[in-house]
Amino acid sequence: MDWKQLWEILSAPDNVPIIAMIPLLAFYIYLGWKQAHANDLLIDELAANPGLAKTHHRKTWPFKPGWQKEVHVWPFLLRIEFLAAIIVTIILMVWSITLNAPLEEPANPNLTMNPAKAPWYFLGLQEMLVYFDPWIAGVVMPTLIIIGLMVIPYIDTNPLGGGYYTWKQRKFAISTFLFGFVILWVSMIFIGTFIRGPGWQWFWPGQTWDHNRLIYEVNRDLPDIFGITSNLWKGIFGAVVVGGYFVVGGLLTNSMFRRTNPKDYKRMSLLQYSIMMSFFLIMVALPIKMLIRLLFHIKYVWITPWFNV
Amino acid sequence: MPEETKKPDEKNGRNGGLLGQFKGDLAALKTDLPAKAKEQVELLSKPTKTQLYTSIFRHKHDDTPRNRALGVLSNVFLHLHPAKINRDAVRYSYTWGMGGITFYLFFVLTLTGVLLMFYYHPSKVQAFRDVLYLEHDVPYGKLLRNMHRWAAHLMVIAVELHMFRVFLTGSYKKPREFNWTVGVILLVLTLLLSFTGYLLPDDQLGFWAVTVGTNMARATPLLGHEGPFGSQLGMTPYNDVRFGLLGGSIVDANALLRSYIWHCIGIPIIASVFMIVHFWRVRKDGGISGPAPVVLDSEIKEAKK
Amino acid sequence: MAVPESDAVKPKPDAAKSPAAGDKDPTKYVGTPAVGTSKAAPAGGVASVGPEPSEANEGRRRLVWCAVTAFLGAWFIAFLRFFLPRTLFEPPTVFKIGYPSDYALGVDTKWQQKYRIWVDRTPDRIFVIYARCTHLGCTPDWKAGENKFKCPCHGSGYDSEGVNFEGPAPRPMDRANVQIAPDGQIIVDTSRLYQWPKGQQSHFNDPGSFLPV
Repeated sequence: MDWKQLWEILSAPDNVPIIAMIPLLAFYIYLGWKQAHANDLLIDELAANPGLAKTHHRKTWPFKPGWQKEVHVWPFLLRIEFLAAIIVTIILMVWSITLNAPLEEPANPNLTMNPAKAPWYFLGLQEMLVYFDPWIAGVVMPTLIIIGLMVIPYIDTNPLGGGYYTWKQRKFAISTFLFGFVILWVSMIFIGTFIRGPGWQWFWPGQTWDHNRLIYEVNRDLPDIFGITSNLWKGIFGAVVVGGYFVVGGLLTNSMFRRTNPKDYKRMSLLQYSIMMSFFLIMVALPIKMLIRLLFHIKYVWITPWFNV
Repeated sequence: MPEETKKPDEKNGRNGGLLGQFKGDLAALKTDLPAKAKEQVELLSKPTKTQLYTSIFRHKHDDTPRNRALGVLSNVFLHLHPAKINRDAVRYSYTWGMGGITFYLFFVLTLTGVLLMFYYHPSKVQAFRDVLYLEHDVPYGKLLRNMHRWAAHLMVIAVELHMFRVFLTGSYKKPREFNWTVGVILLVLTLLLSFTGYLLPDDQLGFWAVTVGTNMARATPLLGHEGPFGSQLGMTPYNDVRFGLLGGSIVDANALLRSYIWHCIGIPIIASVFMIVHFWRVRKDGGISGPAPVVLDSEIKEAKK
Repeated sequence: MAVPESDAVKPKPDAAKSPAAGDKDPTKYVGTPAVGTSKAAPAGGVASVGPEPSEANEGRRRLVWCAVTAFLGAWFIAFLRFFLPRTLFEPPTVFKIGYPSDYALGVDTKWQQKYRIWVDRTPDRIFVIYARCTHLGCTPDWKAGENKFKCPCHGSGYDSEGVNFEGPAPRPMDRANVQIAPDGQIIVDTSRLYQWPKGQQSHFNDPGSFLPV
């Protein structure tokens, strides 16, 4: 257990924000979950008791009849905003006084740092470069992420949960988002920051970053495992595999969705459903491709003269 | 004002008349000046009643509901807020304040950034040295640079937490769909701001981060010279999309200057436009979405097809 | 603030009317339901809305505002100090210009482009004129044919020793510090200048303002 190496990584000034982000994220997930849980209990109670449902003010916070529903922005909101600004400023100033921004040697095009890492918020994408070609990891994926995010409000037909935290009423939406945000985006950043070392090789925390370590990976392509040699058949085989993934995955997801979200299933138009399906399947394809690479040492699934997946 | 003076009459002659007038003026001064001074002191002891004060602060500030509303609505810096909000929306646990914190950090970054610009030349010869100069020879330069860098990291974290919160509370549902889209654009712009700023110190860290990043651009399908179908469309390292971004085929002086301009002027202007739309839509869509009363599944009426 | 009250979830089927004025329930806004109107305080039976104006509250308010003002004030002073760097990278003001024997009688313009000076030799001394017009700072021209310096900006004229005689210049052009280096060359220091302000004592005879020959 190389503590010095661990400390070197954790105390690098640009890594500190990620160390700060992890507990911050955990705290806010907890805060959200606490309110969602309280709301869910309230929802259960109201569903069981129609009489109560008519008279209750429908929130988990206190409200007595006769209370005003609104309060003045000045002073009540503005003083909290002022306090937030003060707290953020104090955190920023303490951080700026104690930790110095990094400045390495002057730029030298002839000497690459090892490892050469992108800024931390792009490390997730850089990790994808291990499993996908640059044009996918660097161009197609960010584009799909951005478009996928933008499209969310237009494919979410669930009318419940607008304006309050809940888990019960929005299980699919929340679990999909958590999967994409926490398990894919944030963990990839975590891996890119703390686990990937020289040569972008995998170093567990506490392992020394040995620049001379060489782990010889034997990766095969899927068509080669099946003994296909002709380029034409490689292309066809790959198309079948990828197409098959979407078909089989699509059918499985369809069955799951139909059973767990019957109302949304009815409400969604064909366009909304197809968009949701495509993005969902592409997103799930990421960890699947990562796993078949890590576990079975398979590099490419679909080989064509113009691109490889 | 002296009223009764000796009228200039022929008998005294002109000089005598004027001198008399002058003596009268002096005498009047002796009585009027103390009265005026007393008046002036009384006026200044109530500064909020002076013309100067009332011309700047047009409304009274005593604690009535009307003045509380006016304090927000007639203030140029605050009038984005409504006069009143839902009593539970004030609770921190609902909103997490991340949208506001992001905007505050943007403001801090603009301020610290402008100050840093006084000592930075975006040229390959000087950029790195200027950062060293800022850190050692400029009073508070080190602190300012640190504040700028850490505020940038904090802003990326805050914007991601804001997106997370808006998702968890379903605040992107009707009628707020478009505002969510604008928010995603702002997220991308925040990341791009951070990315363009990363190169500016012209050190190994920034240089290679940008090299890795822009090398992805040459792999763009159709538009990059190493992307699928790129070479078929005549893309070379000297005319593809990466060339357009860098102003050259390598990360050199042109890339530094372009990065500087995008970072300091281009993207902030674009981001400001989108922020204006984003904040405007919050108000137009009905303000902060909640906390809203919970709705039961049984109460949803299916729309007629 | 973040904990949802569980007692609000318990059933409360009685739709209570607005409570009587003067009720001191701490969870209510004063003057309910008159909150937000001008009748809030009297409806609640209290002197004023908002936190009571006690000594402690006044003190706390003062403390917070003083702290905020002090912080912003410190920032402002730092902001001002930020604009005055501690070191500068400007061209050197100390340089060598060769040997005294290199210069003939009269004005030599060979260092005008590089160092902004003229070397002037008279029968008894060598001195260096700093080529800045004392009117508004332009660089005059040496007119050898007319044996005078003439500033193109507003027409100030100086004689061959740099003393003004026409135009708006208020005093003669300044002279730079000159010394002999160990190797015999003349060292000029343009950061140390000698002046002859109008109506005051001339510094053109101070030690260092010329080299006797």
